[in-house]
Amino acid sequence: MNSATGRVPLTPVGQNHPVASLDRVSKEYRSAGQPVRAVDGVSLEIFPGSFVALVGRSGCGKSTLLNLAGAMDFPTSGEVRLDGVATSSLDDAGLTRLRREKVGFIFQSFQLLPTLSVIENVELPLLLAGAPGAREAAKLRLDWVELESYAARLPHQLSGGQMQRVAIARALVHEPKLLLADEPTGNLDTVTGNLILALLRRIATEQNTAILMATHSSEAAALSDVVVHMRDGRIEQILQH
Amino acid sequence: MSRLTLFYRLILRPLFREPLRTALTVLAVALGVAVVLAIDLAGNAAAGSFRSSIETLMGDSDLEVTATGGLPDAVVGTLATLPYAIRVRPRIQDFVTVVATGQTVPLIAIDLIGESADQQIITVASGEEALKYPGNLDGVWLGSSLNAKAGSTIRLLINDHVRDYTVRGVFDDSAEGGAIVVMDIAVAQNELGRTGRVDSVLLKVPDSPPLAEWQSRLSGALPAGAMVRPVGSRTSENQRMLAAFRWNLRVLSYVALLVGGFLIYNTISVSVVRRRPEIGIVRALGASRRSVLAAFLAEAACFGFAGAVLGCALGRVLATGALKLLSATVQALYVSSRPGAIELTPASLVIALLIGVGMSVIAALPPASEAARVSPMEAMSRGQREYATRVHQGRDMLIALGLAAGGIICAVPPAIAGKPLFGYLSAILLIAASALAIPAVADGLLHTSAHGLQKIIGVEGLLASRSLIGSLRRTSVLVGALSTAIAMMTSVGIMVGSFRQTVTTWMNDQLQADLYLRPAGNPASDQHPTIPNELADQLAKLPGVAGLDRFRAYEFSYEGLPATLGAADFHAVQPFRKSAFLSGRSASDVYSDLQGNDAVVVSEPFAHKHHLRRGDSITLPLGDRRVPFHIVDVSYDYASEAGYVVMDRATLLQYLPDPDPSNLAIYVAPGFDLETVRAEVQKTIAGHDILIFSNRNLRAEAIRIFDRTFVITYALEAISIVVAVMGIAGALLALVVDRRREFGLLRFLGAATSQIRKLILVEAGLIGLLANLVGFVLGLALSFILIYVINKQSFGWTIQFHWPAAILVSSLAGVFLATILAGLYPARIAIRLNPIEVVHEE
Ligand SMILES: Nc1ncnc2c1ncn2[C@@H]1O[C@H](COP(=O)(O)OP(=O)(O)OP(=O)(O)O)[C@@H](O)[C@H]1O
Ligand SMILES: [Mg+2]
Repeated sequence: MNSATGRVPLTPVGQNHPVASLDRVSKEYRSAGQPVRAVDGVSLEIFPGSFVALVGRSGCGKSTLLNLAGAMDFPTSGEVRLDGVATSSLDDAGLTRLRREKVGFIFQSFQLLPTLSVIENVELPLLLAGAPGAREAAKLRLDWVELESYAARLPHQLSGGQMQRVAIARALVHEPKLLLADEPTGNLDTVTGNLILALLRRIATEQNTAILMATHSSEAAALSDVVVHMRDGRIEQILQH
Repeated sequence: MSRLTLFYRLILRPLFREPLRTALTVLAVALGVAVVLAIDLAGNAAAGSFRSSIETLMGDSDLEVTATGGLPDAVVGTLATLPYAIRVRPRIQDFVTVVATGQTVPLIAIDLIGESADQQIITVASGEEALKYPGNLDGVWLGSSLNAKAGSTIRLLINDHVRDYTVRGVFDDSAEGGAIVVMDIAVAQNELGRTGRVDSVLLKVPDSPPLAEWQSRLSGALPAGAMVRPVGSRTSENQRMLAAFRWNLRVLSYVALLVGGFLIYNTISVSVVRRRPEIGIVRALGASRRSVLAAFLAEAACFGFAGAVLGCALGRVLATGALKLLSATVQALYVSSRPGAIELTPASLVIALLIGVGMSVIAALPPASEAARVSPMEAMSRGQREYATRVHQGRDMLIALGLAAGGIICAVPPAIAGKPLFGYLSAILLIAASALAIPAVADGLLHTSAHGLQKIIGVEGLLASRSLIGSLRRTSVLVGALSTAIAMMTSVGIMVGSFRQTVTTWMNDQLQADLYLRPAGNPASDQHPTIPNELADQLAKLPGVAGLDRFRAYEFSYEGLPATLGAADFHAVQPFRKSAFLSGRSASDVYSDLQGNDAVVVSEPFAHKHHLRRGDSITLPLGDRRVPFHIVDVSYDYASEAGYVVMDRATLLQYLPDPDPSNLAIYVAPGFDLETVRAEVQKTIAGHDILIFSNRNLRAEAIRIFDRTFVITYALEAISIVVAVMGIAGALLALVVDRRREFGLLRFLGAATSQIRKLILVEAGLIGLLANLVGFVLGLALSFILIYVINKQSFGWTIQFHWPAAILVSSLAGVFLATILAGLYPARIAIRLNPIEVVHEE
């Protein structure tokens, strides 16, 4: 680590541009009048195909960092670039467009829309983006997570692991360069969680998708290429496998 | 846990967290209550006003003697010379127009000499000297509200002439409910052209024997045509005549309240669903089912109470407007009246409160009892956050079909005591049927259209229809509320449109003359000022006048209900005129039956009221006689609800020899220019205050009056729609709060804020569309009930069904637009939500 700049190349430096780069990014919240630095001067570059795990105690700023990286929020200071585009240069519509193209999200609680069928959930990002061929792309993705026979079901008819796989299919349907996962195994038992992690691992390797995953689980961290330890909004340590 | 704490935690606190939605619900109830109260207050004031204008100067009389066309002076003499200690006061009652203001004011003529000698004159002149025997009988005495000074002159229009009258005195009329003009009876006879006749004689009889005995004793002493009735009979007759009108208006006013009921149902349902976990917890902590039930009913009662209190204030304000509209209608269709004061009595306030609270509690019963059935375990389990309350679609649809069948059956039986009670029941059953059918209809339509919507509108169409299905109960209740309001709008719209078209067609068929003349002054259905017959003779002789019909009308009373007695001569009957008779016979056939016989044609409302048919015979009081007449036919007639009895002019003149007509109709001879003839007529009537209407003017005037009559129904409809749209706005606000996580998630998945807005607007629009559809179908069904059952049984009018297409389309589109607009503010709230914060909420 080059501690002088705080700049961490997480993947072999080469012809690759980073998918996401955070440059001295801070995020400050005001709670009860007191400023809280949820993220404090973090610099990070994430390259295609790399699987990065964010670990640290509850409240250390993992989710906040994910949201900044996913163009869901503006940093208070510093710069976030997604595929070379600075989020601060965009308005809300621009952020939305960027997110539509570059980012996929998965969550601890799966967050499937209960009134939509599995296939409709998966194709939703493409529909929202107005992209053509949504149904076919969704089918392919479902196939990929081995849930093609569940296409017509409603989410409440699935198990937790299946729901998370649907959520992964949904996050990947528009072939984003960056997949953001906030404790994707948090609501699952160990065995199921490991299946999900293996799936994520495959995604990074086979599809060259960069993954930034916040997690509390050591199994999860073990499967990743890089483990970023956070504490009080700062990067404390970076471990490469 | 004490009930009060329970109530506070479970109910009150959450309400304050959503002030806007709470306010919308309260306002919806308030408007419902306000409309009911306003119509009631205004109705009372409009009906109460007869008392003040007509019974003024009744004093302490007990009995009233009247006859159609007036009583001969001799009757006064007969009464005065009877060997009883009765006090006799002749009266003439008519109307004059104050030229300066155009105001129509009752004219009351009394025997100034006789009554001042009597020392009874004080009844008019509360304390004033003015009406003491004045020495000079000429001139008028005015109520103080006319703002004239004694000694000045006032210009009045009486029949067809305008004259200046000296104001002899001014008296305080604050107790009389409005301005009055008083004249000496002999002067009035002269001015009105009613020499030798008075309109009525007021009698004060000794206390014993009882009044009924006096009534029959005096009847025996008077000519057969004279009616002896207790004083005030006319007022109660008028009120009876108005009963059907008021009754129907009152029923209409309850629609806004019904719509409010739907919204309370929805509000309490939202409360119950949102607080399922809390219900479970308090149940686990030992709260009984009954206290949970009570808590939610109390929530509804709070809404009801707050709404009713606000509604009382609002109702009082609305009543002023309603009274203006009502009294115009009463004046045009029924009887000259001046609006009385609006009296907000404690009783009406209490009733308004009871209605507001009662309606709210009843509407809240189903969701509240559902809350009470929640078991402690069930509510605490996860996954109950969705608004996925069970809806028994299939069962409800079956019940709906049953109710609809019942509704159709109820359209068959006749009126009960003149009230179309089965008609109302039929309407209620149909409304209930549609409410129960909505879940199945909405579910079916949304399911089949989801993908079509996605194609047309985009992904928001799919999401919107799915989420509407996902919360089917909420969707159904909102559609129910709005569709009820729309159904009312549609049905009344169709009814009024059909009525209007029927009247227009009827006028086109019946109004064949080229020019119509009547004395100036404001038209009213119970005022029949006259034109000198010599003038009519002159007009008939003008070059270019091919024919002249004279029409004379009198007010009379038949079996306790007022009606109009008319006579016409039919020289100029057009042979091609369409039949105006229920029998379908030609006009010339019917008229030849009338000529030379004691025969009449009665109008449809009259026949309806008195259960008469062609071929029946009726006995009419005419002057001092009672004469049996043969009914040769029943005519369609839409000019007066009180009804007409029409005979040949020559027949009437035999019994009531006053030849002056009230209206003239002139037919221009072929080859003559209408404008030239009109100018000739104008020249001939110079010096008389007579209005000339061309055929087109007259129809336009009639339609104008018709339209004014229905302004109040439009106002009622508009309020119901406003209540429903407010409810939709409130419900959408609740929906935004309940679905904030979904909106946040969509943002994560790449939705733009504009797409979130569109989603909410599409949901609002779909609710509007469904409501339009259901409301239109229900409205069509209700319009049949209104036209063929309720209206027919209440008023007796035959109305031809007609589509007022333009009005219907534009008002449905307007409502649809309003629903979408109702989504704007909730959409703004949804856009402002921070997706990061809401997406992780559990
Ligand atoms: N909207 C907000 N307003 C104020 N403070 C916030 C807000 N969101 C997060 N915080 C604070 O920022 C800090 C970082 O929060 P964050 O959610 O990123 O933590 P985390 O590492 O994801 O925790 P966990 O492992 O529990 O999910 C916390 O102290 C939190 O209280
Ligand atoms: Mg977190």
